[in-house]
Amino acid sequence: MAADLHPVTAHTPAARVLGALGQVLRIAIYAGLCFVFLVPFVWMVFGGVRAENEIFANLIPFSLRTFIPIEWTLESYLTVLGMNETGRMLGYSFGRNLGNSFFVSTAVVLLSLVFNTMGAYFFARLRFPGKKYLILFVLATFLVPFEATIVPLYVVVRSLGLHNSYGALIVPWFASPFVIFSLIQFMRDQIPYELDEAALIDGAGYWTTLWRVIVPNTVPGLVTNGLLEFQFIWNLFYWPLISVTSKEIQVLQVVIAGTLGQNQQYWGRTFAGSSLATIPVVVIFLLLQRYYVQGVASTGVKG
Amino acid sequence: MAQRFDAAGATPAANLLSRVFTWRRRQLIVAFLFVLPALINFLTFRYIPIFEAAYASVFEYSLLGGFGDFIGLAHYERMLTDPVLWRAFQSTVMFVVYKVPLQIVLALALALYLSRQTVGTAIVRSAILTPMVTSLIIVSIIWAMIYHSQNGLIQSILLSLGLPKVAFLSDVNNAMPAVAAMMIWKDIGFSFIIFVAGLKGIPEMYYEAAIVDGANRWQSFRHITLPLLRPIMMFVIVTQTIFSFQVFVPIYQMTQGGPLDSTKVIVYYIYQMGFRFQEMGYASALSIVTLVVLLTVSWLQMRVLKVDE
Repeated sequence: MAADLHPVTAHTPAARVLGALGQVLRIAIYAGLCFVFLVPFVWMVFGGVRAENEIFANLIPFSLRTFIPIEWTLESYLTVLGMNETGRMLGYSFGRNLGNSFFVSTAVVLLSLVFNTMGAYFFARLRFPGKKYLILFVLATFLVPFEATIVPLYVVVRSLGLHNSYGALIVPWFASPFVIFSLIQFMRDQIPYELDEAALIDGAGYWTTLWRVIVPNTVPGLVTNGLLEFQFIWNLFYWPLISVTSKEIQVLQVVIAGTLGQNQQYWGRTFAGSSLATIPVVVIFLLLQRYYVQGVASTGVKG
Repeated sequence: MAQRFDAAGATPAANLLSRVFTWRRRQLIVAFLFVLPALINFLTFRYIPIFEAAYASVFEYSLLGGFGDFIGLAHYERMLTDPVLWRAFQSTVMFVVYKVPLQIVLALALALYLSRQTVGTAIVRSAILTPMVTSLIIVSIIWAMIYHSQNGLIQSILLSLGLPKVAFLSDVNNAMPAVAAMMIWKDIGFSFIIFVAGLKGIPEMYYEAAIVDGANRWQSFRHITLPLLRPIMMFVIVTQTIFSFQVFVPIYQMTQGGPLDSTKVIVYYIYQMGFRFQEMGYASALSIVTLVVLLTVSWLQMRVLKVDE
């Protein structure tokens, strides 16, 4: 629209050529960007379904063959999942660790949605003396640097006897200042007060009002926050690395780094394991991209 | 009004009053129960660790040996003369300097360039956001292979173009820029999304008015886009600085702090102290100082860049 105000010159032949060139350039830049951002994933996914020696044999010249397998095989997957002789011998059972990742992430998301929604309802709607100090207590945790306080967090979790258990992976994360803040905003902006006031006047308690009136109207906010939370927990590494030592309950990311990443002589296995850890989150993201983008955007706009 | 006083000596009015009062109080207690689980969580897992670290930092303490002697501020004194810590601090600052400004400029450029809503931009946008949703450890493993000095994907491209191989992660000068480049690739999506949202928030009529006034594209950008994007820009700078200051995973996976300690950053050093060298007391003291430094940095940035609420 804005461009229409400029003098229009696109009708001379020279301008038309220039326009076409611009179009070609634009497509080339788009393709270049896609290449830079996606090529590591393409390499990883195809590398997981080809024979080990093929990966190295086709590096030069750099071409489609560098990526696309000549002979397709699921050998690397069978190995890391512990479903063939080699895999069993090496004690790989990435299937179990993948399950752990799913279990932990899902548990945190569910608990987080229940408790943070309750917290957000308290701050957005209920009357309580000194509420503004409580909100300060919650929001100040934003300032606590995450990675820098992991070591002291471990000391606390250990003294509670939670270390090396699913509890260590789940319990510290069921409340999130980010989710509470975001849900408070959502309830304030999107749900008219009359709605839940009417329920309260009709004699419903806070609890009923929350689950029957507020929650059904907060679904988009819950989806967005659940999605961000899932991705946050799924991708945690430092915390499970130090808080859990048992391979049985460890999440996939840590096991991959521990068994494959350190001595990368079997690249096919690394690719296969990494694909297992990556494909689920990328698929979820692509399906729910709209919610995801809204969630991230709102962190910046609301500040 | 002849009123019958009961045994407790309360009038019906007072009775009602006290019943209302207890009802109000019950309501308050019920209300508080809604927020209690979250408060307990924050207290236990966000606040107590800080006090715990402060406490542990004045003792000889290791995970294996438990608490030893009270040593006062000896750990803090040790920091003053710890040459590795000073180098780790410098490396951390270098990482932030390599990463944050470039990431913000690139993210803004991409947000401006991809502002049109077409099928093409939608695809490119999804591509830019894909690294962001993937786990950092996986991305670090894959990029360590891409940078690999023998069989890396980049060597493959270089050799195919007739160029010599380049050592990335094993070279003292290249390792940190290589990790920073990977981290820009990984994190740019966050800044990109926020800038796209910010640009959408600028009313189209401002630009139309500028064109009527004869402004060119650069002038529009300089005098409309930049000033209006300022609060968002400040937010991105502050948060990215704080996050980048705490970089750990790619260092742990790709370089282990090497070569020659050139990528040994603060959080990695704390991890080594606590878990590898069994000096949890010193590690706790380092955590406390890092916390204070980070709080100061973000406070200073907010003051200098004048972030308004």
